[in-house]
Amino acid sequence: MRYFARKIGFFVLTLWAVVTLNFLIPRLQPGDPAELMVQNLAGKNAQLNRAQVEAMRDLLGAPSGSLFSQYWSYLGQLAHGDLGISYTYFPYTVAEVIGKAFWWTVILVGAVQLLSFAIGILLGAFAAWRRNSRFDTSVTVISTFVGTLQPFWIALLLIYGLGYGLGWFPTAGGYEASTPGFNGAFLYDALSHAFLPALTLMIVTPIGWILGMRNTMIMNLGEDYIRLARAKGLPDRMIALRYAARNALLPSVAGFALALGGILGGTILVESVFDYPGLGRLMGEAVGIKDYPLLQGLMLLTAVATLVANLIADLLYGVLDPRARRAAA
Amino acid sequence: MSTVATETVTAPAVADRWYRVVWSSKKARVGIVVVAIYTLVALLAPVIAPYGPTDGSFTPLTGPSAQHLLGTNVAGVDVFSQVIYGSRVSLIVGLLGGLLATAIALVIGMVSGYAEGTFVDDVLTFLTNTALVIPVLPLIITLVAYSDTRGIPLIVGVIAFTSWAGAARSKRAQIITLRNRDFVTAAKFSGDGTFRIIFSEILPNMTSLVAAAFVGAATGAIGAEAGLAVLGLGSSDSVSWGTILYQADAAGAISQGLFVWVFVPGLVLAILITSMAFIIFGIDLLSNPHLRED
Amino acid sequence: MALLDVRDLSIRYEPKQRPAVDAVDQLSFSIDEGEFVGLIGESGSGKTTVGMAVLRLLQRPGRISGGSITFDGTDIAHLSQDELRKYRWREISTVFQSSMNALNPVTRVEAQFADVIQCHTQLRGGEVTERIRTLFDMVLIDPKFMTAFPHELSGGMRQRINLALALAIGPRFVVLDEPTTGLDVVVQHSILENVRRLQAELGFAVLFISHDLGTVLDLSDRTMVMYAGKLAEEQATRQLLRDPLHPYTKGLLGSYGDPRAETVRITYVPGRPPDLAHRPDGCAFAARCPERIDRCAEIEPARTEAGEGLVACHVAAIQRGADGSGIEVGPPIRTFAGPQFVKSAAASAEAARGLPLVTVDDVSKTYVRRQGLRAVRTEAVSGANFVLHRGGVTALVGQSGSGKSTLARMITGVDAPTAGRITFHGSDGDQVVARMRGRRLRSYRGSVQMVFQDPYSALNPTKTLGATLARPLINFQQLHGSKLRERVIELLETVALSPGERFVNRYPHELSGGQRQRVVIARALAVEPELIVADEPISSLDVSIRAEVLELFDKLVHERNVGILYITHDLLSARMLCDEVVVLNEGKVVEQGPALDVIRSPQDDCTRLLLDAIPNPFAAARS
Repeated sequence: MRYFARKIGFFVLTLWAVVTLNFLIPRLQPGDPAELMVQNLAGKNAQLNRAQVEAMRDLLGAPSGSLFSQYWSYLGQLAHGDLGISYTYFPYTVAEVIGKAFWWTVILVGAVQLLSFAIGILLGAFAAWRRNSRFDTSVTVISTFVGTLQPFWIALLLIYGLGYGLGWFPTAGGYEASTPGFNGAFLYDALSHAFLPALTLMIVTPIGWILGMRNTMIMNLGEDYIRLARAKGLPDRMIALRYAARNALLPSVAGFALALGGILGGTILVESVFDYPGLGRLMGEAVGIKDYPLLQGLMLLTAVATLVANLIADLLYGVLDPRARRAAA
Repeated sequence: MSTVATETVTAPAVADRWYRVVWSSKKARVGIVVVAIYTLVALLAPVIAPYGPTDGSFTPLTGPSAQHLLGTNVAGVDVFSQVIYGSRVSLIVGLLGGLLATAIALVIGMVSGYAEGTFVDDVLTFLTNTALVIPVLPLIITLVAYSDTRGIPLIVGVIAFTSWAGAARSKRAQIITLRNRDFVTAAKFSGDGTFRIIFSEILPNMTSLVAAAFVGAATGAIGAEAGLAVLGLGSSDSVSWGTILYQADAAGAISQGLFVWVFVPGLVLAILITSMAFIIFGIDLLSNPHLRED
Repeated sequence: MALLDVRDLSIRYEPKQRPAVDAVDQLSFSIDEGEFVGLIGESGSGKTTVGMAVLRLLQRPGRISGGSITFDGTDIAHLSQDELRKYRWREISTVFQSSMNALNPVTRVEAQFADVIQCHTQLRGGEVTERIRTLFDMVLIDPKFMTAFPHELSGGMRQRINLALALAIGPRFVVLDEPTTGLDVVVQHSILENVRRLQAELGFAVLFISHDLGTVLDLSDRTMVMYAGKLAEEQATRQLLRDPLHPYTKGLLGSYGDPRAETVRITYVPGRPPDLAHRPDGCAFAARCPERIDRCAEIEPARTEAGEGLVACHVAAIQRGADGSGIEVGPPIRTFAGPQFVKSAAASAEAARGLPLVTVDDVSKTYVRRQGLRAVRTEAVSGANFVLHRGGVTALVGQSGSGKSTLARMITGVDAPTAGRITFHGSDGDQVVARMRGRRLRSYRGSVQMVFQDPYSALNPTKTLGATLARPLINFQQLHGSKLRERVIELLETVALSPGERFVNRYPHELSGGQRQRVVIARALAVEPELIVADEPISSLDVSIRAEVLELFDKLVHERNVGILYITHDLLSARMLCDEVVVLNEGKVVEQGPALDVIRSPQDDCTRLLLDAIPNPFAAARS
């Protein structure tokens, strides 16, 4: 139980650290952040508009006062889910804008992450089990190369090949003619739009799992308990699954959340390239037009999402590895 | 009484020189050669590139031709020359970003590992774990977006300060196993100080790990720079491969059929990163003999 | 017909980057139904490789490159893994060396019995549980531990469970590969007793592989001695004790002695085994052999029947009339004619009683570990009293966990006692040893040095011997330049690594275990300490070279007047080296006195237990 308490404690602490970091980033720069932002918005040589600066101060959460009181009211706003107002989508709040894009990305990334985890673990385990076979060699070589490709570049190539070249899939947006809602036409529309972004991510993301799983599995296959399992004359399947893979899976589970952070990074670029209406494109947009409140909101959201995923992975790890529970106890 | 008590020193039984081990891997050999070629191209860019990287005196948006191997961009700049000069940005960002990130990781990992179980370790471990779970690219984007002038130093700094955590964690783990070896205790008995023990006794035992971490960090930095540039957050005073892709995407290169404009910068980037991954394969053979017997 | 018949077995390791090595070279032996056969060899002799080959568990880059392994009439050396399955565990099972890793860490012990039982028998459900319960009873472990995870068990328990697992479906043949190495001596002893009893009851045949001659001879009907990938000698155990044929066997036997004897002699085999990648012409042991003749360096001795056994040695063959060449050799001798280390009762008794160097006065150490909100107290040492004398050697003897390492930590100033007082009567006056820091600790280390258990971990693999030895000289004596170099070479020669110039630029991996341990001792000597704390300094070395290190210590005591605190579980080496013995049990001093008195008339059960645990091949021969 102590293991779980520790992990939850870590989650709470990191959550606080992330929230604080998010508060500090815009204030790290010298000078009045509000003034700076307005200046940034207007362009270098433009006259500062006092009204805008005041408005910006409002948006930032604390019109004036010490850093500490700003921090306090920032926390208060956060607690109410108030992330400020977006410049671009004025008068919509950041929360509203993010809310609209949220599910697009969650479904895309969630499906990709789970699917690539499963595929990666299976391929990696099998490659290690049949080490040095033709299957292993091709999986390793292809993975090493494909794993180094940049997702946004793959995205561009796919648009060129499957989108423009063959015309099989729409190359931009999340849906076209249909009305959003739970109806067949919309689902089909959305799925066909999501296909290319998902394919792009699916090319890159399983790689880490494949290579990671293969490596740990190979190490595990050299352990005494595997040799003993062989000496016991157990069927290969049982040795591979219950002895080797079961142990090799642990580091992958521990790395699940960290990989999620990586996918989120790739998603920003891929969604921007495909103009897919999710959080990633929103972030690309926010950067382009310096919509700082939106940017901060997105940053906070992705960080918190990773933290939650990390907590889930940690708790799962505790269930899977009896030694972890005890080590912390 | 003792008739045969001569001391013999036989030839080293385990001594594989590190460079021979690395070079023995075919992948690592390919990687080293390719990176060497890239370095040459970067150094000799003015000789190799037919035009300047900012020379906008040509017809914009032309396709590949004998004069312009990869065509020209919206501003009428020769894309091939841009690609050649772009290698400079990638290699510099890789080198400096890799060095800085490795240095940070080394200091934090080693101090926290050596001080294992103390308050200092708790704080540093917490810092590391936090930095590890915060998604890197969104953080980099947020940090870079706030600054108006974006030179290479800023990009290198931001990348390094956001991507040291994984390496720091593995160094901490390694130092903890090394610290409990008797030779560290023996060094204390020999009167050596903490600083000397860490850097002179422990560090030489983890060179392969540090080298792999450096190449890994450099690879990450190159990828991150390209990602930033694709979003339009690249260095504002030089052209990188990511910038070329950004310009191509913005100009709708694909819908205009200017395929090579998109294809080549991404490909040269992919080849560079693959070669660096190959080098890591070779270095991994040093630290993990399990992998050595193929 | 023999149950297992191995003919001309060769095993080759073919790593990609290095030259191929024949780890096992044309080995032949057989084992009968119900027979207990020991295979003894030191590190690198290929004994474990033989065991793995018989189990058909060799891993790349090793492979069987020749010969046959016939089990019950079938050659299993070249069967496929699928064909082997019907032999595995039902016929041939095993207990591995490392008790740590042989069990799957993430599943309960019970499941690891259940899978193999269900795989090979018709038992299901409750019958399986019943069977596991019986097996646990056989190895004297409470069946409630069935549901434990491996990491929740002690090393001894894990190894007992591995033994039970090996017997799970009543095999006819069990390979025991160093089954108790690394465990506490007393625990080792009881596990081996258990093995012997079960073997007698159940009648399975055993190949018992070990580096420890004592336990092999204690248990086996027949003993095979392996050196450099070949069988040097094979005899019925009793006969081997009475009349060892091969000089190497004599060398191994010479490493044991009875600590109670009036005069104890232990011999050691100088030098180190050959590099198998460059196998010398002739006999592989020739370079280390005191009985060698010219022929040994040229012609490889064949395995011949000599006396009542088999031996691969020219000299032995000639002596027993199994060789008609007519070369003149002396009559057979029973002992190893190499260097030896002798200690007589008189020498032990007249050991100089120097002035007190360290006084340990009613010292206790309690570790407090936080476990949630509770504090768990472990009393590592309680109320220890003893005195170390200047220029004298005191042994601190006890089982693992008896508190001897904790005492060493306190005496070296790494830890402070929770109660009581340790006083160091140094040449600069008395000082209280507590947890010291900074300058004080540093200066204390100019007087008190340490020698470690594992010489492989005590030397930094990235530094030359010269660089390692230079550190204390630079730090404590401010030596530099040519003076420093001279002193380093002098130190190397003090520990018999001479000429020193040839060793200065060597790296630790170029040395044998014994040579490394001497470098560690040289480093401790560099500061000219008044006390050296030696923590099990010979227990990780091959048996045949242990006496070499003991002799070096003995020489240092006599020549340099340095006091030694010798920490060990082995009363034989304590007798050889020490003037006084302090016996620790569960943190308390249970007995102390002159070495010979304690060993000859032990007063405490714990001391007797430790004496019983000393492997004594000769006791078996006498009975």
